Amino acid sequence: MGQAASGGLTQGDVDEVIAASKGVFNQAEIESLYKRFRALDRGHKGYISPEEFLSIPELSINPVAQRLVRCCECPNFTIFVKMVAPFSPRASRDDKLVFMFTVYDVDGDGFISREDMSMMLKQLAGSSLSEEDRQDIISRVLAQAGGAERLDFAAFKAALSSADLGNMVVEVPVDL
Amino acid sequence: MGEPVKGRVESSLPGLRGIVADDKDQEHAVVTREGPTKGDAEIDQLYAEAEDKRLSKTSLLLDVLNISNVLTDGVSAMVDDSFNKCFTSTRPEPWNWNIYLFPIWVVGVVIRYLVLFPIRLMLLLIGFNTLIAVFLLVDLALMPSKRKMALQRKLVQWMCSAWVAAWHGVIRYHGPKPTPGKNRIWVSNHTSMIDYVVLCSYSPFAVIMQLHHGWIAFLQKRILSSLGCLWFNRTEVNDRAVVAARMKEHVNKEDAIPLLIFPEGTCVNNEYTVMFKRGAFDIGATVCPIAIKYNKIFVDAFWNSRREAFGKHLFRLMTSWALVCDVYFLEPQSIQQGESPQEFAGRVQAMIAKYANLRIVPWDGYLKYYNLGEKNPGLIEKRRRVLADVLRAYLGKTGAAPSTMELATEGKAALDGLQRNEEGLKGAVDGGVLQGWRKLCTGGTVHPV
Repeated sequence: MGQAASGGLTQGDVDEVIAASKGVFNQAEIESLYKRFRALDRGHKGYISPEEFLSIPELSINPVAQRLVRCCECPNFTIFVKMVAPFSPRASRDDKLVFMFTVYDVDGDGFISREDMSMMLKQLAGSSLSEEDRQDIISRVLAQAGGAERLDFAAFKAALSSADLGNMVVEVPVDL
Repeated sequence: MGEPVKGRVESSLPGLRGIVADDKDQEHAVVTREGPTKGDAEIDQLYAEAEDKRLSKTSLLLDVLNISNVLTDGVSAMVDDSFNKCFTSTRPEPWNWNIYLFPIWVVGVVIRYLVLFPIRLMLLLIGFNTLIAVFLLVDLALMPSKRKMALQRKLVQWMCSAWVAAWHGVIRYHGPKPTPGKNRIWVSNHTSMIDYVVLCSYSPFAVIMQLHHGWIAFLQKRILSSLGCLWFNRTEVNDRAVVAARMKEHVNKEDAIPLLIFPEGTCVNNEYTVMFKRGAFDIGATVCPIAIKYNKIFVDAFWNSRREAFGKHLFRLMTSWALVCDVYFLEPQSIQQGESPQEFAGRVQAMIAKYANLRIVPWDGYLKYYNLGEKNPGLIEKRRRVLADVLRAYLGKTGAAPSTMELATEGKAALDGLQRNEEGLKGAVDGGVLQGWRKLCTGGTVHPV
């Protein structure tokens, strides 16, 4: 009897999602993310298409919007939460690094190769950086990061050891 | 980070976190398709400066590999953004969830759908059709004269009252009733097409509307034309000069019926208000603001055209207990010395927002229909160029960069290339972003300007 205020989300779903995201979100945040997911998923297909993501003005003016949106490939709710999970204040530094690595690794083979870096730099620095300069930068970065032809996660992590990732936090708005 | 300047509202740049812009003016930095609050170049510059602040510029490794800032911007926008908030209707708390209240609720539903709705619908059809018949009769029988016009306006007013009665509208009008005057224009916030009906049942208004098809077109052309409503095609609405000329022409007529404009350009959810377009504020007329606030107690009057057909919206209104609404007619405002039309629009918006208890958001309502990044590739390119310059500095170069236009087209080509590449790699994505937006654009309707 009565109506589910969260429109279709059961406790079982919530538990599953919390487990999938390693417990960085509490129930209130999950509910709030679910509302957001439903708002973005027009037509209630169960996943969010890239067009729907890019309809968010603030996202569409982001230089790496295209990569971000294709990185998660039409996420259903669980994958959506897993994507936001590294940005929770309770997420570990490792989680954040893993996410950054996954975005940077365009072809998804577990290594950041020259091609991956080239594609990312095109999105990050645009076309005012010439092809020649881009390759030059990539060579220098690879040299400074240990000299290998491509970066694995350990090398990536070591390269960013001095980076302050404290800014990598997103507040999930929760209405009490 | 920038230091906040005393005495001004903190204006961070939408979509770019962590930095407060060095913004000398009070206005938000917003990028739009037509008249922006600042010059495009200025906004691009603000974003570029903010990007510059975020880079380390000391370590090549960090500047290349540390993409945490752009990722945070992106994911933050995915989780919550200030634009979509304006178009969500908050679901009311269900109150029927226990054994005592549930039967009462069921009785209520039965009465609303099976008793009230049929009665209202019948009365509406009878009343409305009678009035239309009388209207057409008057139209054909009498010669065009002042008396005929006055009679027709009265009839339209009655028709709107019939509609309001069909929704059992409990509407309170505050402030002096509008009277026609030379060089005056009325503006109001926009929640649904019924705004016009609510206002018209009290005092007749002309409005600028999209010309529809079918029976609505018949209504529009035969009946609403008597009120002097101005018609446009979608393509013409985009032509600001034409609209401005017709507005000027209308307000300069001696006995012109009050012209009503909805400067937001789209329906907003009555909790927020999006950017007021400056068209109505640019013609040198006195602006009379109207604030409309709907009470959500029985029904939410917001018409979300993306989720709901207009018929369904009307049905929802007719099957609720009542439509409660407050309308405030505010003091006429004129443009001040040294004030730009956009600032004038902002000032009037602040007045309306105060009475209707709305929060002001700096986005252009038309963003519902197009992708901001696609329309303003220049902004993204400027941000990218900041990083490119920093990277080139590591190489010891500070060469001149190609022109912005070249950048924009090249940037787009690079994006398309990346898109196609990734489609090959990951598959399953159809059409790309531009097609998706074209679909949306053809599906959406344009609301009164």
